[in-house]
Amino acid sequence: MPLTLTHDTASKRANPQKHNHYGLRDFFQFDASRGSIVDWNDSQNILVTEDFIIGLIQGLQEEVGDASGATMYTIGCEWGQRDAFFFEKWFEKEFGRPARQSNLLFLLETWWWPFTAQGWGRWEVDMGDRKQGFMFINLFDSAVARTLGDIGNPLCHLYAGLFAGFFTEMVKKQLSCIEIQCYSMGETYCKFLIGGQERIDASPSGSTRALQPATLKNGCARGIPK
Amino acid sequence: MLSQMQRLSAEAEGRYATDEELRFLAEYLSSYELRLQTYQKLQQMEAGLLQKAYEKLVAQEPGMFRSGATDLTTKWKRDTVRILRFSVTALLINDLDSHQEKMLLWFQSIARAVNVQKSCNLTYTALQEIIRPHLTEPQANLFLPILEMNRRTLANL
Repeated sequence: MPLTLTHDTASKRANPQKHNHYGLRDFFQFDASRGSIVDWNDSQNILVTEDFIIGLIQGLQEEVGDASGATMYTIGCEWGQRDAFFFEKWFEKEFGRPARQSNLLFLLETWWWPFTAQGWGRWEVDMGDRKQGFMFINLFDSAVARTLGDIGNPLCHLYAGLFAGFFTEMVKKQLSCIEIQCYSMGETYCKFLIGGQERIDASPSGSTRALQPATLKNGCARGIPK
Repeated sequence: MLSQMQRLSAEAEGRYATDEELRFLAEYLSSYELRLQTYQKLQQMEAGLLQKAYEKLVAQEPGMFRSGATDLTTKWKRDTVRILRFSVTALLINDLDSHQEKMLLWFQSIARAVNVQKSCNLTYTALQEIIRPHLTEPQANLFLPILEMNRRTLANL
């Protein structure tokens, strides 16, 4: 019989509609007797060390070589698409209205808060180029990049896939995402560009090349070359 | 206070805490009466403070409570009361870290998303001005910095 995990704390029972529930002990319910960590949205969480992230990336590199970036991106896409469905459910439960009827930036902040609480980093969404069909995301403290440090290559393929998958599902249009600067290239934060798949090349060679933001801004006007 | 207790518990694990590490407890205990008095005074004054802040802001920035055809007054009052109560709790238990973690960082991102940073700036400036005359100097020294932290965080300054 499958085990159903539910976040059920005295604090949540007293105030189930609380939106600012992202403090450590609010968001996570740690159950030592069952060995489980369940978050506010009834999703099971696990804790992993930086060694796990290093092992995952290096292991994948050994197994599939240059395709490891594309593999991580694909995993991220799948995750993002599934998470979009999950998000729509919990958003509606928490706010009592469909996600698609909400202010877009509010919606995005609300989507990302669980990720922030889980240690995936804080973000900043830049919609300045939305009319051109592009959107930028600045990510501070990428769990992947901060683990591996400055190695001279963009590393956050998992995040790029996550953003591509989530936004594809939310806007019902095939989108791609490319990391254009990365903490692992000596930058202070990671930056992602999201746009139509026909205009952004998220293939391994595309996603591992370093693009300069200034070049990119110019590129946005005419479309990023494949 | 609770954050400091947690830190102490982690840092002094397996040994006795030093006098220096225990100092915050003595400081908290000596300030507890003052904190409680201030907490109770602010609790009693809440509705009046909010109304005064609202009137001041309407006079100062008449368009602040409207967005197109939508009246934002109820929403502003709900958000301000919520943050005020978290602030007063932070004062009582002397835990600004928890206040940041549990309320301000979340609300900062929402304020940015719905573009009310200017409104937050004006609100927490007004609240400081309105509250100051009602508190003694030691009370004000405890509470006004929390309102200022709210202002700077939520207005992203």
